[in-house]
Amino acid sequence: MSLIAEFLTSIRGFVQTQNGDELRNWLLVEPNVAAHYYELGQQLRSTCPPNSDNIEKLVEKHLPEEDDVPEGRGSPWPGFNSFMEEYLKYWRDVDFNDIVKLYGRLSDLLISCANALANPTYGIMLLQTSMSLSEALSKLVMSITKEPHLMAQIQGDMTGDEAGEKKSIVELAADIIQKIFTSCLTDRSSTRWSPPKGKKIAVYLFANLTLKLLFACDKSRLAVQMFTNLSTSGPALSLYPASQRVTFLYYLGRFNFDHGHYMRAHWCFEEAYRQCHPQFLKHRRQILIYWVPSNLLLGRFPSQMLLSRPEAAGFGDVFIPICAAIRTGNFVAFHQALNASRDWLWDRGLYLTLLYRLKPLVWRSFTRKTFLLTWEGGATGNDPNMMTNRAPALSLADLVVTATYVQKLLEGYVPVVAAAGSSAALTTLVPPPGGQPKRLMPSEGLIFGNKQPDLDSMESIVAGLVYAGLLNGFIARQQKKFAVEGAKRKGGNAVAAGWPCPYESIMDRFREDYEDELAAADAGETNEPPGEFEDVPGWVKMG
Amino acid sequence: MASTQPKNDAKSTEPKPEQPVTEKKTAVLEEDDEFEDFPVDDWEAEDTEAAKGNNEAKHLWEESWDDDDTSDDFSAQLKEELKKVEAAKKR
Repeated sequence: MSLIAEFLTSIRGFVQTQNGDELRNWLLVEPNVAAHYYELGQQLRSTCPPNSDNIEKLVEKHLPEEDDVPEGRGSPWPGFNSFMEEYLKYWRDVDFNDIVKLYGRLSDLLISCANALANPTYGIMLLQTSMSLSEALSKLVMSITKEPHLMAQIQGDMTGDEAGEKKSIVELAADIIQKIFTSCLTDRSSTRWSPPKGKKIAVYLFANLTLKLLFACDKSRLAVQMFTNLSTSGPALSLYPASQRVTFLYYLGRFNFDHGHYMRAHWCFEEAYRQCHPQFLKHRRQILIYWVPSNLLLGRFPSQMLLSRPEAAGFGDVFIPICAAIRTGNFVAFHQALNASRDWLWDRGLYLTLLYRLKPLVWRSFTRKTFLLTWEGGATGNDPNMMTNRAPALSLADLVVTATYVQKLLEGYVPVVAAAGSSAALTTLVPPPGGQPKRLMPSEGLIFGNKQPDLDSMESIVAGLVYAGLLNGFIARQQKKFAVEGAKRKGGNAVAAGWPCPYESIMDRFREDYEDELAAADAGETNEPPGEFEDVPGWVKMG
Repeated sequence: MASTQPKNDAKSTEPKPEQPVTEKKTAVLEEDDEFEDFPVDDWEAEDTEAAKGNNEAKHLWEESWDDDDTSDDFSAQLKEELKKVEAAKKR
């Protein structure tokens, strides 16, 4: 018997016994396989040329569809045979040095595997094979995306028919894997809230594989549809093994982080971290890389206790200087701290997010510091009369003075120690060496590049902080002041009243938004009720 | 497959107690950034922090970190600047 016939006969045996593990073990596609597979390819090339239908005939002969299948046994089905034809063609044509062709062949093979898997009766026996083929394809795609000349070649091939809507190879591969994901999701063997059966056991395996591919190729936004599908009909995450739960929550956290939902990102990372076995330091470290920035953006700093954990080794060098700069409202130190870790942060997609999104917290501390330096109401101590006579306020003109000073520092001006009582000097700064202020990039300046702070820009900064809930009070436009509210409630402590705890403020603001959504749903303004406060779209919790 | 990805290696996720955890910054921070496949599928919830309740979790983050110290150099410079500008206005 030829090797091809032998191979197909064995496959038939596994189909009859519905042995998914053996099907996966035999239906290999990677180059590091036994010599048999290359011999199989050789035989196929000599007996089944591309212009013949010999492969179809061989499959038909050795994998006949059976009529009376006893209970517990299986039979080849048309989708399976198409897949097997595709599989034999793969080994006939494969050239592991021709990556472009390999990609095309492997994609076709996985598509036909996905079609076969969709069979409601027997499809499930291809679950393991679908997984291994999906892994092989995503591995290949991830390596291709790192080789621009291969990318160009593949993208170039896709003009013509598909020129109208050109999808990237990442998108195409993710589409195929998501098709398998959908096939698992819609399996009716078990409900959303009972232990998964049938193809449903693989929902999160394929979700995670898709997410891994999308994140490796910077295409996380393509995951939206998958999360929506999970929210609508996905099984509860808690019904799945810990490794799948932690992996899924890690990616869901990263998705939310990338889309500016830092509270949701924090919830996902928190749960991923808590459910991750402490033994898996690399995984916990990977979670922390994004969990710490999520918390910074929510106004919380990592504690010494967290930074001293083994999985956080070296993180203190990155994050402590950033926290110190935020704490003191020191923009110069803030830029220095980010620049010192620029490459590390940049490679993880954190640099720009932290640069732009942490600025409000630096501004909060900076306005607070200016208030501490200028407000004299506090100096009279607990005299209640003083408090009523002078409402605590931050003069915007004072803020212009301090901000202008900092802007000059950013432009390279150098502080000099002016002699006490010196009458001529209006400023304690001298121009940078060379005399010209440094030209700043938009992001490097306090407002925007070399734009100098003035009353209008300070008013708009303060208004933004008030709107974000980071400052508590209002702008008295006539007096050009920020008036602090609620000092009496804080026992006369104007600083505590005007500059509330940032994390609490951000949390309150988030809760207000949620309550607005609830109210809108109650009023019938939206179709979708917002669910629980801590719900994260895509994270299915037990109902 | 002609992949340049390092093969996920179960051994790499096992703890290595003898491994120094506080090497030089560059060495510690240069690492592969993939969220690797776990070497095991499942583990007991009791072995995780989730089982220990929220007590420890509370100490992982600092919410109150405001700095009331105005005696540092940066504050002193700002104070000086405010004084100078104030003095100039009065002249």
